[in-house]
Amino acid sequence: MTAIPLWIHEPAHKVFYLRLGRKTDDERSLAMELSLEPSGVFRIRYGAMNSALKEILSSDHRMRSVSLSILSGMLLVALIPGLLSCQRDPNAKSLTLAVNSGVEGDALKQAALDYEAQTGVHINIAEFPYANLFEKELIDLGARSRAYDLIMLDDPWFPKFASQHLLTELTPLLQQRGLKGPDEDFVATSIALGREPYRTGSLYAMPYVGNSQLLFYRKDLFAKHNLPEPATWNDALAAAKIISELETNGAPGGGKIYGYVMRAAQGNAAVADFMPIFWAFGGEMLDANYQPAVNSAEGIAALKFMLELGKYSPPGYASFNADEVGAHLLQGTAAMSINWPAWISSFNDPAKSRVIGNMEFATLPGAKNPGQAEIGNWLLAIPRDAKNKDAAFDFLLWATSAEQMKRSAIRGNPPTRKSLFNDPELVAKFPAYPTQLRSLESSRPRPRTPHWNEIENVFGIYLSKANSGELSAEDAMNQANTEIGKILERAK
Amino acid sequence: MSEPSNSGVGYRVPGAGSDRRLAYLLVAPTVAVLVALSIYPLIHVVTLSLQVTSGGASRWSLGNFARLFSDHFFLAALGHTLVYAACALTLEFFLGLGLAVLMNNQLRGRSLFRAALLVPMMLPTVVAGVVWRLMLNPNFGAVNGTLRSWGLNTAALTWTSSPRLAMLSIVAVDVWQWTPFMFLILLAGLQAIPQEPYEAACMDGSSAWQTFRHVTLPLLKPAILVALLLRTMDLLRVFDQVFILTEGGPGFATETISLYIYRTAFRFSDFGYAAAMSFVLLIVTNIVSAFYIRVLQAREA
Amino acid sequence: MINLRPLLRYPLVALATLVALAPVYWMLTISLKHEVDQFAVPPLWFSFTPTLEHYRDAFLTRNFGHYLITSTIVAVCSTFCALVIGTLGAYALARFQMPRRLDRKLSLWILSTRMFPPIVTAVPLFLMMRDLGLLNTRASLVILYTGFNLPFVVWMMRGFFLEVPRELEEAAMVDGDSRLGALRRVLLPLVAPGLAATAVFCLIISWNEFLFALVLTQTDAAMTLPVGIAGRVTQYEIKWGVMSAAGVVAMVPILIFALAVQKYLVRGLSLGAVKG
Repeated sequence: MTAIPLWIHEPAHKVFYLRLGRKTDDERSLAMELSLEPSGVFRIRYGAMNSALKEILSSDHRMRSVSLSILSGMLLVALIPGLLSCQRDPNAKSLTLAVNSGVEGDALKQAALDYEAQTGVHINIAEFPYANLFEKELIDLGARSRAYDLIMLDDPWFPKFASQHLLTELTPLLQQRGLKGPDEDFVATSIALGREPYRTGSLYAMPYVGNSQLLFYRKDLFAKHNLPEPATWNDALAAAKIISELETNGAPGGGKIYGYVMRAAQGNAAVADFMPIFWAFGGEMLDANYQPAVNSAEGIAALKFMLELGKYSPPGYASFNADEVGAHLLQGTAAMSINWPAWISSFNDPAKSRVIGNMEFATLPGAKNPGQAEIGNWLLAIPRDAKNKDAAFDFLLWATSAEQMKRSAIRGNPPTRKSLFNDPELVAKFPAYPTQLRSLESSRPRPRTPHWNEIENVFGIYLSKANSGELSAEDAMNQANTEIGKILERAK
Repeated sequence: MSEPSNSGVGYRVPGAGSDRRLAYLLVAPTVAVLVALSIYPLIHVVTLSLQVTSGGASRWSLGNFARLFSDHFFLAALGHTLVYAACALTLEFFLGLGLAVLMNNQLRGRSLFRAALLVPMMLPTVVAGVVWRLMLNPNFGAVNGTLRSWGLNTAALTWTSSPRLAMLSIVAVDVWQWTPFMFLILLAGLQAIPQEPYEAACMDGSSAWQTFRHVTLPLLKPAILVALLLRTMDLLRVFDQVFILTEGGPGFATETISLYIYRTAFRFSDFGYAAAMSFVLLIVTNIVSAFYIRVLQAREA
Repeated sequence: MINLRPLLRYPLVALATLVALAPVYWMLTISLKHEVDQFAVPPLWFSFTPTLEHYRDAFLTRNFGHYLITSTIVAVCSTFCALVIGTLGAYALARFQMPRRLDRKLSLWILSTRMFPPIVTAVPLFLMMRDLGLLNTRASLVILYTGFNLPFVVWMMRGFFLEVPRELEEAAMVDGDSRLGALRRVLLPLVAPGLAATAVFCLIISWNEFLFALVLTQTDAAMTLPVGIAGRVTQYEIKWGVMSAAGVVAMVPILIFALAVQKYLVRGLSLGAVKG
């Protein structure tokens, strides 16, 4: 097959031909026509060679210049739309949202479609995995490339953006719309996250998804072995031990049930699963003088406890992420876990779950301190340099309204409004809502520092190393402490 | 790089005035683009690396370079990169050489085989990463699945999620993708060797190994060096596959220097320190390539 | 020569081919399998009911069609720019002698820019694109890939030009052609196959590039196929089918191109240093 591209000028639009056939004068040759219309639209047509084209192609003299025009053809076909598309969308009735790919982002995407249908405002979605979303947002806001009008933030990222003054203050926008401040209906611990400084400062973000950790456990197994709902971490450990030892072939399909499952992959995962244990044991990441204190006696005891729990976790948990933990719980091969409410609805989905009706959700166990969940809310914020602040804020208000948040809740995202946690329709659908509200109201944010991403990265690496057996608990915490100290030192 | 054989001076036009001007004019756009996209960024890297930002203000300092020596993560990432490069290069070289020798015979369907070997090498590295993420998944990946169907216990073979196997896994992926490169270059080198030396060796009654050692290898040396140079440069910069396969994990086990620089710059926004590390990587790369080029030129001289 | 018996040779060759192709074939099957079959134990290598649902999902409901267009535009534009600029430069370096061996020094310098690890220039180029207001545009990728491809074009084309006897051009010039006229009418047609092979290599390099595409794009407006694929890889629950389907689509044009320039493959891979 030879392919001879040919460039022909036509007044109406630019055309690029590709001839598919063995010989130049083959009547059966097919020509493929790629045309670019002034609007920038590509069209592709197939058809037999037309005679004019054939004449050109069969002329030996022109053959050479034809093959040379491969390149000019390529240029004109591609360069024009290529450069045209570089232009920024001048249409003010259009918003670009950066969202997390996953259930939280999906809900916002759905909401955007509804909003588009209602108002005609076109919404573009830029969707990224959790691990990259932060980078993308930081690059865009920090570099002022103004690609995003509205961003979804995980709450521990917020101090970084707020401390660099990258977000729009929301109170003036609320006041323009005749509102004094955010609705009283928002859960206090949730709305506090969007203020800088925490709880007391100006408002830069509104909470959209009200995640806080819960203890997931298999009530059928706990009942079978006469185990109480774990009130302390020691209860949880004892239960994990009993289940691991007795349920050697109790899983659907006959496998072993592990007493506990956690995610200890480096980064966000290990840290999120460790913090509630750390806090319960009395550990504090930063002391009163803003110095790292993870290697305190309490901190080391907490990590040792995590390693104990690890003995009843499936092998390889030191590299588990949310998907592996979810799979173990859904497949019925693990009995207990700290996890996020986003998974709750999956347990009653027959397409995914082999443990229908058997998963129970509780607030987190305590130890020296009462149990406290880590809060993990998704916030909505507007970049300081956003192109369409007002339109973005209208969408933000609409999406966080009780009515719309209820729709998001039905799609599987916990709300951030008290009224919705008590909404009879929602409670009927999600019986864990009262527990979730208790957990959320008593929850605690990760240390509010602009350097959280660096600290979490380092801390996660050492937690993962301890869990994979590379380091002892003491060494891991001492080294983590040194590295966290360096991060804070540099920041001064 | 070796000059093409017929590049004698006789082929050049002695530079007449207007021709010389034309020559500069023709080469100017190339130089301009490369200055803008290579030299200017290099200068920028140096100036960035000499600045430390704290509290919103930046000042000139050697702090970023001082920090390098006390940063275990940097040293570990550099170590991983060197281990990765050394292992992959060695394996790829011997496998590629073996295949090339094997194929430098009359063999039915040789061109078909060559085409098949093209496939891994031409894959976008991201897609190669995806392919192997699929293959190495401990639960339903084809590697463990196939091993299990042969009756092997694969519980310990968690590949990219095991701290012990992760480095091995990413090396294996690189070997899979790039051994064909070694093979193709070395095969071309073998085929360019004239017959006469072999005939001479045959008359001397040398054994096959002696012929290979004393005739083939010396004649193949230029091709070997070129292949090793290009692979080494690519291995030292590895990013894509690791980003897809392990993101540096588990723990820090497979964090390469490119990945660490990327994270420092674009996740922690510490451009100065990232620039300092980049500078070190550049020095390492230059030393390695200077070594190869010296060996190449020694041969030419 | 080491003389392996053919009996030993064929199984080894077959094994190498199998190892090279099996993973790619596996991705192809995953892209065509229903989700239940993807998880089957033992793995289904051959017998499964094929479906195109993942392709539909990727290219109709998700944005992979858009990434594909962006990838094509960026690859073609950057290849074109690099070819035009680089061919002229290569011609000058192949046909003119500059004082103090400047031509040779320039050639080596041009080659050396290709040895920089891309991450080294990622930060300054990112800052540069930011200052030019080109972040998140296709233009930024076109500019950068032109720069990446340029040394390659210069070295490849310089090699091809050196292979053509100078007398041919001189004959044309005697007939009254200008230097550039002779280049266009005599030299370029003679090296046209080499030019095409060089173009294909540039297309492949641009099409496969990942790091800069990752750093410089924030929305679907400028995202290329590799970045789109990578974005699905690290997701919460991984859409294996969609990812594989996109992977297959990203792979096919490159393989076709690569097979088309097999003759020049070795030369292209070794930057013109080894002639295949």
